[in-house]
Amino acid sequence: MPVRSPGPRLYRSVKFEYLVHSQAGGHGVKASNIALNLTPFVDMMTILVTFLLMVFSSSGEILQAQKGLALPTADAKDVLQTAPVIIVTKSEITYQGQLIATTESVMRDESPTFKIDALFERLDAAAKKIKEDVALGKLSPAVKKACDDMRNGLRPSAGRYCPEGLAILQADESTDVRLVNKVVNTSKAAGFDNLLFAVKNK
Amino acid sequence: MGAAIGTGDKKSVNVELNIVPFIDLMSCLTAFLLVTAVWVNIAQIDIHPKGKSRDQTLKTEDLDKVVLSVLIQSDRIWLGLSRVNEFQSIDKTADGQQNWDEFEAKLREQKSSAYFADRTDIEIAGESTDTNKVSYQEVITAMDRAIKAGFVDVGLSDPAGLAARPQL
Repeated sequence: MPVRSPGPRLYRSVKFEYLVHSQAGGHGVKASNIALNLTPFVDMMTILVTFLLMVFSSSGEILQAQKGLALPTADAKDVLQTAPVIIVTKSEITYQGQLIATTESVMRDESPTFKIDALFERLDAAAKKIKEDVALGKLSPAVKKACDDMRNGLRPSAGRYCPEGLAILQADESTDVRLVNKVVNTSKAAGFDNLLFAVKNK
Repeated sequence: MGAAIGTGDKKSVNVELNIVPFIDLMSCLTAFLLVTAVWVNIAQIDIHPKGKSRDQTLKTEDLDKVVLSVLIQSDRIWLGLSRVNEFQSIDKTADGQQNWDEFEAKLREQKSSAYFADRTDIEIAGESTDTNKVSYQEVITAMDRAIKAGFVDVGLSDPAGLAARPQL
């Protein structure tokens, strides 16, 4: 029994005969090449790539999505920059991904210091380290300039703040403002004088 | 990318472009962009926790200037000027929402006044209780409107630490 080339098939028993017939050149020989129309595919890919390039962010994701956290909306368009992140969800407070306390326990706490001790410890250590890095000059020229501007009382442009005393607060929109005040007071006490409130663009 | 001119027939003027590398490139680019895409646009509002928390005292120079204070309560917003002790109250709208448009209009009025023509600072506080809650969203909206009105140096304060606090 002679061995034959299987030829183009759609499935095991379905040949592409109808396509092959349509491609026949009229010379009595069946052409086995099938021309797929790639134009719509290329069109779709071009549109998709254009769209994705438009939404591409070179700064990447500074904030991580959290369960039970819906950011408040605002018209502000200033870009976010990298800094230590304090997250306040409906149920807990975390710093750099580590659990600090539950919101319930913080709301119950009526301490006269009006700050969250566990968060203060972490922030204080972080603030000291950042201050040390800035003092030792472990910064890029742009950041160094931002720090010099800050010391001279000049207002930096958005996204170019000096990392000294800079932190991001990522809190749920329904968070009680008393809890936000506690977090802000704790941050200030630890040396974070400049807070960036993360918001979602309208 | 290759091109085959005049395939087969001598009189043929059709040009066949080899689009395989192009499709390869597009596929790789699409995959990369889909993986790295950021779907939510996140911005920031820059605030300075002004030194008016409970355990701090005001500096002498702070007492000399008029400060525009905003107190957000669950049923209204107060605008106050320290030293001159002028207060304005903005009630909620008929549909139970804070009247942010009126709030912004009043801020713009203040910005054009002699006190704040060359200044951009404002302090905002939210007063929340167990029964009358003020949410973070309301504070953010107030800050957003203040920035739009020209008060870009937003300070967050405790209600008790506001320079101008209405006597209720």
